[in-house]
Amino acid sequence: MFTIFPHTADAGLRVEAEDVETLFADAGRGLFSLLVSNVDDVQPNVRREITVDGDDLEYLFFDWLSELLFIFEDQHLLFSQFDVSLQKGGLRGVASGEQIDRDRHRLEHEIKAITYHDLKVKRTDQGWIAEVIVDI
Amino acid sequence: MQMKRFQGPLERVNDYCWRIPKSYKPGMRVDGLIYANEQLIERICEDPAPEQVANVAFLPGVQMASLAMPDIHWGYGFPIGGVCATDPLQGGVISPGGVGYDINCGVRLVRTNLSANDVQPQIELLIQQLFDNVPTGVGRGGKYKFSPQQLRALMESGPRGLISRGLATARDIDFTEGQGCLQDADPECVSPRALQRGYDQCGSLGAGNHFMEVQVVDQVFDQAAADVMGIKPGMVCVMIHSGSRGLGYQVCDDALRSLRGVPAAYGIELPDRQLVCAPVESPAGSEYLGAMRAAANFAWCNRQLLMWQAREVFESVFARSWQELDMQLVYDVAHNIAKPEDHLIDGKSKRVWVHRKGATRAFPPHHPDLPTDYASIGQPVLIPGDMGRASWVLVGQQGSMEKTFGSACHGAGRVLSRHAAVRLSKGRHIDEELRQQGVVAKARSRKGLAEEQPDAYKDVDLVVDVVDKANLAKKVAKLRPLGVIKG
Repeated sequence: MFTIFPHTADAGLRVEAEDVETLFADAGRGLFSLLVSNVDDVQPNVRREITVDGDDLEYLFFDWLSELLFIFEDQHLLFSQFDVSLQKGGLRGVASGEQIDRDRHRLEHEIKAITYHDLKVKRTDQGWIAEVIVDI
Repeated sequence: MQMKRFQGPLERVNDYCWRIPKSYKPGMRVDGLIYANEQLIERICEDPAPEQVANVAFLPGVQMASLAMPDIHWGYGFPIGGVCATDPLQGGVISPGGVGYDINCGVRLVRTNLSANDVQPQIELLIQQLFDNVPTGVGRGGKYKFSPQQLRALMESGPRGLISRGLATARDIDFTEGQGCLQDADPECVSPRALQRGYDQCGSLGAGNHFMEVQVVDQVFDQAAADVMGIKPGMVCVMIHSGSRGLGYQVCDDALRSLRGVPAAYGIELPDRQLVCAPVESPAGSEYLGAMRAAANFAWCNRQLLMWQAREVFESVFARSWQELDMQLVYDVAHNIAKPEDHLIDGKSKRVWVHRKGATRAFPPHHPDLPTDYASIGQPVLIPGDMGRASWVLVGQQGSMEKTFGSACHGAGRVLSRHAAVRLSKGRHIDEELRQQGVVAKARSRKGLAEEQPDAYKDVDLVVDVVDKANLAKKVAKLRPLGVIKG
């Protein structure tokens, strides 16, 4: 589950999930909900496999979102479904979506980058929580 | 983290300046100084921006004080509206966060010989034509496509390299800050990813707070300076706000990643990971500087091509060449940049690295870096306000050299979060409201327009007033919007 929280110039993304894989997957969806207002209408027709190396969970989270953002800009792909598995030394993820269709997809924000400011990925009593601020 | 009111100490220095003493947090090397009046400082403390001013004071080699302009608001790492200078001879660092993702985001102002009366009957058509012809919005590229090799050449030369393609003139270059070129740019330090993001984006506006606005000079406050710039009341101008697009964002992103381990390697302790930095005189520092300069030069090419497209649209709408319309560049300023500059610190001239994150250079009259034509008046400082109220032209004053490393504000500064602005616009039509006020606004995203509505910003007049009274820059002219295109 993700929510967008206020930041003066930019936007904050808060994600809560029972396990860390769902946390990463929901964060992907949160990111794309900022890019396109009708993310539910993005069809999962195209798949991209993504691997990110590293052991620090916060940097992995950051790099995962940055990677998704880069593919969006470079290949003009929108994603709506995410499947993530964490292993020792990194993560493997699959993002599914489709090419931008400006008639169907309501593009909203240009996200310049994911930022490190107040970035957190933490275990809670209920599961996991992550917060990140994106530069708009 | 939620928007938390700043709880730290704040001492009044004078009517326009407030101090966060370095005793506030262990690790601060200098005080924080915020330029604001009583009304603005109240607002500024409602979010964590002053905390960020204190955090910047941790940077090794930081000189005099960590500074903030009156349009300061909460950023990530550095506050937006932050200025600091570091001395490489004292272990001074370069911090990519002190430049920002949008490297050399900035503003240019183009004058015309058209009056508001000439333009008003055509304003709908003009704005529509600008909207149709100038690429705006998320992920939109432009009509200019450059191969990696051509991009590398432009990143070394800046817009001077566009003269031979017939997309810039020598005069355009003379009236761009630093002639639109940071020396020693090293395109080899720019990653293939950054080139991929930038290849079709040179000459595109982007989204967020970027815009192209048709304005009219409403009031002139300094006749002599306005005469030198060739602007007068009733004259129509075009203001352009954009930066280095995806290429610059990627350069910053790459640097923040590659610098992850650097502060620890040099024993630098930082209160925020976004402030990650490297000594200027270090391999990691040089690599970032090479790439940052290249991205800055790309940004000047971007604004040059945006201006060129505006000229083409005016030619088609008014059926005269841009030269006949006297569409000359008044000036182009960067407001996200780091540069080596000479400043007098503790009575000694030092070459320091001035970081301006949401702040404009504001050099006074007779500074050697000014175009000859502007030597007697000082450097034009271009301050976009919001799309309903006003924007300003100022000129740099001597006080900026004494107090702010030759810097002034860069805009009105946000006062509402994007979230709050959208909530405030529920059930309203911002474009219709603007039309009632005589401003034609076109945007790709309705939500984008709501987020950028005038109420989301501080009153730019208040911000400019502080800069003027603190003798950082002097008011020359106030412009009001007639029409705007946005992403």
